[in-house]
Amino acid sequence: MSTDTNDKTNRLKPKDFITVGIFTAILFVVEFACGMLGYIHPFIVASYVVMIPLVGAVPMMLFYTKVEKFGMITIMSVLLAIIMFVTGMGFLGAPLIILSGVIADLIAKSGKYKSFKKTVISNGIFSLWICANYFPVIVSADSYRKDLLDGGYSAEYCNNLFMAINYKTIGVLLILCFVFGCIGAVIGKAIVRKHFEKAGIV
Amino acid sequence: MRLKLDPRTKLYMILVVSAVVLMSATTTFLWTVRIIMTLIPVILLVIEKRYSSALWFAFLYTVALIVTFMFLSEESTGIFKALLTGYSGIVVQFMPALITAWYVVRTTKIGEFMSAMQKMHVPDGITISLAVVMRFFPTIREEYSAISDAMKMRGISLGGGNAVKMVEYRMIPLLFSCVNIGDELSAAAITRGLGGEVKRTSVGELRLRAADWLLITAFTAVAVLFVIFKYIL
Amino acid sequence: MNGNIVKIEKVNFKYKGSEEGLLKDTSLNIKKGETVLLTGASGSGKTTIIRLINGLIPHYYQGDLEGDVEVAGYDIAKTELYELAGVVGTVFQNPRSQFFSVDTDGEIVFGPENIGLDPKEILERKNDVVREMHIEKLLGRSLFELSGGEKQSIACASVSALLPEIILLDEPSSNLDQSAIRKLADEIRLWKSQGKTIVISEHRLWYLKDLVDRVIYMDHGKIRHEWTGGEFRSLGKTDIKKLQLRPLEVKDILSASCGCEGECGMECGMDLSGTDTDDGIMLDDFFFSYERKPYLFWKKQFSAEDENLTLCIPHLVLPAASVIGVVGKNGTGKSTFLKCLCGLEKDCKGKVEYEGKTYKGRERLKLCYMVMQDVNHQLFTDSVGAEVILSMETEDNERVDEILESLGILEFKDKHPMALSGGQKQRVAIASAMAASAKLMLFDEPTSGLDYSHMEQVAKLLQSLASSGITVLVATHDPELIEMCCDYLLCIENGKTGYMKRL
Repeated sequence: MSTDTNDKTNRLKPKDFITVGIFTAILFVVEFACGMLGYIHPFIVASYVVMIPLVGAVPMMLFYTKVEKFGMITIMSVLLAIIMFVTGMGFLGAPLIILSGVIADLIAKSGKYKSFKKTVISNGIFSLWICANYFPVIVSADSYRKDLLDGGYSAEYCNNLFMAINYKTIGVLLILCFVFGCIGAVIGKAIVRKHFEKAGIV
Repeated sequence: MRLKLDPRTKLYMILVVSAVVLMSATTTFLWTVRIIMTLIPVILLVIEKRYSSALWFAFLYTVALIVTFMFLSEESTGIFKALLTGYSGIVVQFMPALITAWYVVRTTKIGEFMSAMQKMHVPDGITISLAVVMRFFPTIREEYSAISDAMKMRGISLGGGNAVKMVEYRMIPLLFSCVNIGDELSAAAITRGLGGEVKRTSVGELRLRAADWLLITAFTAVAVLFVIFKYIL
Repeated sequence: MNGNIVKIEKVNFKYKGSEEGLLKDTSLNIKKGETVLLTGASGSGKTTIIRLINGLIPHYYQGDLEGDVEVAGYDIAKTELYELAGVVGTVFQNPRSQFFSVDTDGEIVFGPENIGLDPKEILERKNDVVREMHIEKLLGRSLFELSGGEKQSIACASVSALLPEIILLDEPSSNLDQSAIRKLADEIRLWKSQGKTIVISEHRLWYLKDLVDRVIYMDHGKIRHEWTGGEFRSLGKTDIKKLQLRPLEVKDILSASCGCEGECGMECGMDLSGTDTDDGIMLDDFFFSYERKPYLFWKKQFSAEDENLTLCIPHLVLPAASVIGVVGKNGTGKSTFLKCLCGLEKDCKGKVEYEGKTYKGRERLKLCYMVMQDVNHQLFTDSVGAEVILSMETEDNERVDEILESLGILEFKDKHPMALSGGQKQRVAIASAMAASAKLMLFDEPTSGLDYSHMEQVAKLLQSLASSGITVLVATHDPELIEMCCDYLLCIENGKTGYMKRL
């Protein structure tokens, strides 16, 4: 009987799924709020890699304190992929999102979800999902550019967009995502300490 | 009259629309197909008696189309025009997906959605989490509006010009509220048997009716037309 | 004893992370079909007992548990929570957070669907429940547009549909107005007639006193008193007061003490200067509606002639430096009135005149301060001291200490506001209002879910604010609070001022 219950504690419970759902919703709201700024100028689209990891790190770090079992970060990435798909961002980015989720989950697991260093790296890797936003631009850069022009975008917007985001810069963008994901994790952790730990919530 | 569509049909609609959205229309014929495709969810919204949202979407889309076709060209420059292009381009590009998503989210009940996911053999964990996401968006909106009221009252909406404070003041109370609500929500859901080993049943029967097949055919046709005319011909 | 459906034996419990035990060597047996009320101060262990019975302890809330709990033949410690779903049902305190669906129909069938019943049977159960509880008009609606009382009705229906033998209610009336509480009492009566075993944890006693078979009084994690229903009803006012319980009899604020019948339907535009103070705070042109006005080039302002106004107060004088109770049914515009008054609704162009100065638009935010019902929304910083400083135009540490001292929370100056209890958080919010030197303080349901002694504290605090020259408006459903501290009573009905009288 007792071994039976031990088995079950390693499985995710409804409470865990609900936690994942809540934090995914919050993270998406953050992404959406930052995404609105992208309508202003294409350079802002490129700066997602800085903004979203930094702002999103606060809920993420609180989320990490609630993760104790493998699967929660993975499920979050699957949900994000589904939401991105439903809101019209396409499915090209899905593999990247889910892959970064699984790897982030594995890294955090290797630190038993307690190690701060592993959490920072894990969040850095997880932040790569943001680059999925750029996939439609990069995968078919040339034809996409032509499409945009035909579709009514001005040459200037396109030039700016492709100057900031192309197959050469995507590497840089991925690295930036990772770096700011890590920086965000450190700042986010400080904020979680300052508020949630001090208040005795986590 | 209420048209009851199967949630699976709705998901298929989203699948097709977001695929088509990625393939920019390049000829008049493709534009026509695209516009017709966008009209379908608008009509569905009207059938659901959601007149104001249908009207808003139709209005925005039309304006964006007119702006794109009439006023802008490759040579358009200047900040104002660049902004205008940016906006209308994005509206034209993504409005079809947005409106379909809106229609689906607004007309699908969580119970229905969960049973559809179960029928498609999606793991329970993902289904539950996704249902919570759907339920939580309105909650976040409610909480956020209360918090922003409180910020107005304190005169700290702009965080004293400090961007970090601006984010912190919004994020911290929001996270506290969400964590609390989440805890209570889990407790309430678990005591009502969520996550048991029994297979969940559903009162909303899932059946593909004539309307479902009609829509599935229509959207398949749109997808096929796009692929043929864009990449093969 | 075979008749006992709930057996709690010698239970000690301590929540994880807390040092002191919450339940100390507690035993309690409940017979099948019995209706039991658990009462006592906040933190006395009422909720912990509820959680022991529904299994949330030890399966959801972790801690050190000793002793045995057996419910309907199940050993709780060895039973998974979902197995209990059809046996024990729980109605929780907060109507906002306990629903899983977005629509009412889905919420009622949520439980039965989870335990895998046949869809046909679920629908039958749903129809039965809806008919019994008379909630036909709530079907097919979004849960987000229901009032607190309506949400609580759906929560009851959702529990009912699982046909549990035992129904637990954890402070279910906290966020309800008097008419909604009466509806809740009807629902409990219905369950009682069906022979269910009912356990209720509650501070408000007036609506339960005729329903209960047994009353358990808890204090510091122990059962101190036990009465039968009859004994409890015959307790005198002084006994009740000595036990720090809320009274058994309350006035009906919506009809009796307000005198609203007929009179509340006063014409919009009626002058209400029936108060004897002319040097008070004058409010003019408070019109508002949530239905947007159509506008083409500029916004058309709301005026007294408009139809469907949520709020319609052309003129009102508030006596300065007094405590004014604001009453009225849920959804009749009390909260709207408070929000408009302090300037949170931009489209409400009302004017406030105070000491010869007129405040319009955003200026009202400087004059007024609202302590919200959910005070968590208005605490932003990481210490009580910082919270107060945030409201000050220039940092003045002496003044901070002075304010905190006067509210009795100086000892918490360096603590995180969220680590405090509900009542203490409320004081922090009041402290920041004082730091912003607000002259008009608005309170939205400050005593919902508080026990008697905490309510008494709030009452004293409101009075001391008034005597320091601040005008206090308090929207409340608690007749006890009005009796304790209000100088005036303002009744709002359908967005209009129905009555303003001196108490």
